[in-house]
Amino acid sequence: MTRSVRWGVALGTASLLASAGTAPVAAQSLFDRLRQAANVARTLLPISTTKEVEIGRGIAATIAGRYPVSHDTALNHYVNLVGLTVASVAPRSDINYHYAVLETPDVNAFAAPGGYIFITRGALRLIHTEAELAGVLAHETGHVNAKHVINQIRKSDTMREVKNQVDIQGGVLDQLVGGGTNMLFMGLSRGDELEADSLGLEYASAAGYDPGGLAAFIARLSQHAAEGPLADFYATHPKPDERVERLNAIAQHEGLAGGAILAERYRAIVK
Amino acid sequence: MSARGLLRLAPALAILAAATPRRAPAQRAQWTDVVYVPGYWSGGRIVTQPDSLALVMRVDYFSAPPRWRAEIRRTSDGQNLAAPEILVGSGDQGVVVTQLGTTPLDQHVLGHDPLVRALVVFDRAGQRQGPAGGRITDRTPDGKVVRVVFRRATRNPSFDTALLDPGNRAGGRTLLASGITAVGDQRSASVVATAGARGVDRVKTPGGDVPVPPDTAAISRIERYSVGSVALEAFLRTGGLGPYALPGDSTRRHP
Repeated sequence: MTRSVRWGVALGTASLLASAGTAPVAAQSLFDRLRQAANVARTLLPISTTKEVEIGRGIAATIAGRYPVSHDTALNHYVNLVGLTVASVAPRSDINYHYAVLETPDVNAFAAPGGYIFITRGALRLIHTEAELAGVLAHETGHVNAKHVINQIRKSDTMREVKNQVDIQGGVLDQLVGGGTNMLFMGLSRGDELEADSLGLEYASAAGYDPGGLAAFIARLSQHAAEGPLADFYATHPKPDERVERLNAIAQHEGLAGGAILAERYRAIVK
Repeated sequence: MSARGLLRLAPALAILAAATPRRAPAQRAQWTDVVYVPGYWSGGRIVTQPDSLALVMRVDYFSAPPRWRAEIRRTSDGQNLAAPEILVGSGDQGVVVTQLGTTPLDQHVLGHDPLVRALVVFDRAGQRQGPAGGRITDRTPDGKVVRVVFRRATRNPSFDTALLDPGNRAGGRTLLASGITAVGDQRSASVVATAGARGVDRVKTPGGDVPVPPDTAAISRIERYSVGSVALEAFLRTGGLGPYALPGDSTRRHP
């Protein structure tokens, strides 16, 4: 526990004990606060890894229903290799990472909980180098590792009725899958996207890729802003210029530079 | 002292307890050595050849001086890395952890393996010997390459230091939480959903609601697919990624 957190706990305990020793009105207030805390705790019931994977599997099945998963074995193998390379930098030991290509001209990528990560053929067409692909997959891996979708699901109305992990099944599971899928298609919060950018930059750079890959790809999106396949992407992500500026600032602040770009290897496999 | 007095004192005690300095935990470190020798694999044997390198083992290290742990995965065919052999130690002394217990390294067959002897090197304080990262080339006095080690440190080590303790009952299981091997050979049935959600038949998109027939078969296909750790290692090496990305080159000569 860090010192600042310890101080926070100490002050909270002190405040609680102090209020316990005062008048009955204050005691009433304490019980109200405890009840409120219990409600919050119940609302934010943790979701186990097993349940996270079940939810993620359902979301992934829905994504695969909307956009067919590519049967191009060599391409999927390559995307898995790049994805696992960036995931290996800071992996969650409790899940398996799966990467796959979706056959659609739409430009997008999705990260379902539990490690199911997709990138569209349209995005691959806009990407020029392996470093850019690594940046995009690292960004999506960041969403999984930071549990962005799962944390939103925990705050959902459906979870208010859930008392323990066993309750996450049947209709409840379907509702959570539906909610999570809508989040992915409608877009995560600006804060989650920017956090995933930071994590993506960190993972790709630590894996040995040029840290400018993700920023280069996002900058290229700006040049194609008016095109139809990018409509959903623009509707669900922060403005590209802001993201590029922020990524460049982080790279400069952290002193990240150099690394593999691998444009030829990318072109040889992604035709 | 009255109960009310105790209550008044409690906040101050709580603050004091929290503010009391605690002993700083040992600095944790984690790194990986990927080890090659000159030659190439053929029929389960390494044919010596000076201008090529054959992968022979990967060692993942976890350290909180003076304690440390090394997980050694060898290949006997150049295609697959075997399950790890686990060493734990304190200072410059190590033991091999087996299902049955522990054996001092000196009395175990691993202790007679020159590769293991060369790689698992800690001083009396449990500090790593040799460079922190980069390419390390071991040569004979006449300049011949004995082995090449690609070393990569993990930026933010995260592991339970209790598993550096040989007396820990869980000490025999692999501690590897990060690194290529863990993600490359990912086949842990315990975290693969068995029942699986059916998905939903309608989703919201920025363009309006869209009907969607969930495709669970596609997800099963994705889950069955596995990238082997050796294939991933080769991918990294040809791309100059991971441990192969580091420009440093340390040469050690044998006495």
